[in-house]
Amino acid sequence: MKRIALVVLLLAVTVAGCNVPSAAPRPATAERPTVNVPLELRQRNWQGAQGMGSCTWASLVSLLRWQGRYYTADWIRQNEGDGEWPADMAERLDRAHVRYAYVTNGDVRFLEWACRTRRGCGITVKGGQHMVALVHLDAKWAAILDNNDVERFIWVPRETLIAEWKASDGWAIAPIYTPAAPLPR
Amino acid sequence: MNKLLLCLLCALALFAAVAPCCADTVNGVLSEERVVSLPNDQGKWYISVVGDSNDARYNEILGWFDNTPSLSNLRGQVHFCPVTTNTAIYTERYAPNVKALPTVRMQKPDGTVVYEAAGNDIPMTAGGLNSALAKAVNAIRGLRPVLPWRRDADNRLKKLERPQPQPQPKPDPTPEPIDDGGTPDMEPAVDLPGWIAAPLCGAALLVGLCWGYGRKLKEKIKAKLTPAK
Repeated sequence: MKRIALVVLLLAVTVAGCNVPSAAPRPATAERPTVNVPLELRQRNWQGAQGMGSCTWASLVSLLRWQGRYYTADWIRQNEGDGEWPADMAERLDRAHVRYAYVTNGDVRFLEWACRTRRGCGITVKGGQHMVALVHLDAKWAAILDNNDVERFIWVPRETLIAEWKASDGWAIAPIYTPAAPLPR
Repeated sequence: MNKLLLCLLCALALFAAVAPCCADTVNGVLSEERVVSLPNDQGKWYISVVGDSNDARYNEILGWFDNTPSLSNLRGQVHFCPVTTNTAIYTERYAPNVKALPTVRMQKPDGTVVYEAAGNDIPMTAGGLNSALAKAVNAIRGLRPVLPWRRDADNRLKKLERPQPQPQPKPDPTPEPIDDGGTPDMEPAVDLPGWIAAPLCGAALLVGLCWGYGRKLKEKIKAKLTPAK
């Protein structure tokens, strides 16, 4: 009987040393949107030297900050601006040694890649007159971050967004660096 | 005739150079086709090193990932995120959930924390941190750690001379590691995991009970078999 009591005691002592689960709140579901750019890092649209809006650059700046490229983002904010065409923007980014990829053919696989890898991308909307950041794309929904209204994410059905993008020249551009880590689960 | 041929060749060469540029014209702007291979790294794990940029300990740990081969190798396999406390990323995404600074956190792509150590819980050396990370990765993979006594026994066995078959069979090719493309490849951890103590104690309890009961049973049978006097 004494021997049994000893074994039980040993067992109790062992279990008493087990780790207590962390008290920090951990979300059970995946983060939405995937590219959850903090408010402070979202770049508002600004007026360039020629008086035009800088939506393409603003979208890119937000995504660069999300990918931890603060200096590059700040440099672009200070040195670039105004409206852009795909090739011109590519040329400027090449000169600035920014790592990026883009499409101008409305290939949805590019958007899927950008959101799957949690990098996001700038996409044209409004018939090619404006660019916003695509921050989420799943089987049903898409979310965009408009640089004219950075306070909130705009959720639209996936097909609606794709139709809008394809009707707007199908230009998308993504910086390729390390995305911010997901929230802990 | 030669000049004509030369002109024709030059014209052909010029056409060949211009044709790809004209392939994709958008909004009247000539756009050149860029061929890039997009990184399909959605399966990569994340390592965040979080701390104050003025903190010597934080900078020391960051330095380990640059200067220590094992950690530097690991860094190349994951999304490595150094995060300083003066950034919005820290304020929104780390401040609410880190226990202390500095923090080293390893996560799966879906955010599941595989390893986290903060403040004084971070191992003292780069080797220690690498080992701790390796243990966490191997625990997730379900690998059984190699126990020190077993390793010694294996080494002794390897030293023994064994009869060699003749002729030597052709060695099998090294099996491909089972890899989902995301889990970092790390050295096996050494120590026995703590949780294994509980089932061991349970087994010991069971053996103890059986043994005690067996003894009692034996005594009873013995008593029955012994003729009454």
